[in-house]
Amino acid sequence: MRTLLICCLLTASVIHAGATVLVPTDLTGLSHDALAIVRGRVASVDARWTADHRTIETIVTLEAESYLKGALGETVQFRVPGGVLGRYRSIVVGAPAFAVDQHVVVFLGARGPSVPFVVGFSQGVFRMVRSTDSARWLVTPPTDLRPATGTVPIIRGDPSRRPLTLDDFEQRVRSLVGSQR
Amino acid sequence: MNRRAIVSVLVLLICAPPQPAQAYLKFGVTVGDQRVTLKWKPGPVRYFIFDSSVPGVTSPDLQAAVARAFATWQAVPTSSIAYQFGGLTSAQPGDDDGTSTIGFENYPDLDGVLASTSFVVDDATGELIESDIFFNASYPWSVAANGEPGKFDLESVALHEIGHFSGLGHSALGETSLSASGGRAVIGAEAVMFPIAYAPGSIVSRTLKADDIAGISDLYPDGDYATAEGSLSGRVFKNGHPFFGAHVVAFDLRTKTMVAGFSLTDQGQFSIGGLSPGLHVIRVEPLDDANVDSFFDQSVNPVDVDFQVTFDGVLVVVPRGGDSGQVLVTVQNK
Repeated sequence: MRTLLICCLLTASVIHAGATVLVPTDLTGLSHDALAIVRGRVASVDARWTADHRTIETIVTLEAESYLKGALGETVQFRVPGGVLGRYRSIVVGAPAFAVDQHVVVFLGARGPSVPFVVGFSQGVFRMVRSTDSARWLVTPPTDLRPATGTVPIIRGDPSRRPLTLDDFEQRVRSLVGSQR
Repeated sequence: MNRRAIVSVLVLLICAPPQPAQAYLKFGVTVGDQRVTLKWKPGPVRYFIFDSSVPGVTSPDLQAAVARAFATWQAVPTSSIAYQFGGLTSAQPGDDDGTSTIGFENYPDLDGVLASTSFVVDDATGELIESDIFFNASYPWSVAANGEPGKFDLESVALHEIGHFSGLGHSALGETSLSASGGRAVIGAEAVMFPIAYAPGSIVSRTLKADDIAGISDLYPDGDYATAEGSLSGRVFKNGHPFFGAHVVAFDLRTKTMVAGFSLTDQGQFSIGGLSPGLHVIRVEPLDDANVDSFFDQSVNPVDVDFQVTFDGVLVVVPRGGDSGQVLVTVQNK
């Protein structure tokens, strides 16, 4: 494999891309499955070869502003598939991508002593955006809270599903985390 | 059809310059200042099967299920894409070895991911060198003809991944529900390329839909595709400004099928190809029920999802072998 990679470096830059079929989850499931839920600012995005040198992954370093579950320190790192390394670009469609200075809430999982990963792939990332007047942070979760009974369709464009203020979103998540204890 | 609709149709027929279709989500690379669509060169695309198995699915089962899925894409009459089984291999999917490999792997870290497709592309030319597909061995799989309760249908998921393998991105033509007992479930999907899997046991995703057929035909046109089908294009505005990421659905009144695309520039431009000639209704909707990261690179292009579903007020004629002309749609804030 290394021979091929060296050849590619010499002859062309290479892009790696991918895509997925997801097993769906929701905010309740994410809150349950996450080892830590952290809000913060993306401080750095660094690609590297995976330990087996088969592909590229990206280590995202987050300056933690608040933990909604667990605590992993003032800065926390997690990994996502894909990234840019030299003349190689690995793009995994369906995997979340991050840029420095973005503000996010991420739901993190881990298996053993390893760098955490995002729970539910792209489903465990909630991006914070400024309100039109720039006064508040907003978050738009794609699904709402589970209904008390039965099943409800998630209607695209539902007028009642508006971007939540960050405070409201965090309150929901804290409530879900608290109800699991 | 009322008078206003007739007038609009006539105007659209008159103003119908051909447009390059950029419907569906297609993978691409930037080479110099050119955007190159990611696609295979003409000729059968060769793939290998990683000699692997999981409980209930042997290596020959895997080979057969994947072959059926490839055959389904290859059978689209308006597409020239063709595939060829190269044999079994000990190379794993994800090895950058110049061969396209498909098989099971155990990726417990890829929580919530049933399968994934990867590409190696020559960024200097945009040439697609290889593509691998892995099925997550952490999940239960089935190749039973009628599906098995509690297990994901391998052929269905393979069909989705082979769509990616061929160059198609995700489609948003699907609807989900949320239950009190937990989790989301797919109610229905009008595209195999919808990114969320049906519940275990289901086999409904073994059949391509109009959106999938339009997408693969747009990438690899064949037969009478260019002369028999048409396209629909336009721009989407909100608060007087064009914007990126609106989901635009074209509903064919005659066939009752849907094909969709997105506004894919900051000028709000969309273009949906592979449409049957005739009258279409346009619906523009926010991607507010989906994980937008599954469709777009959110670190580059933030997607506005805070607007109401909007039906364009007029019927649009898609001409045979041509384009509708520019359709301008304005959406309102929620």
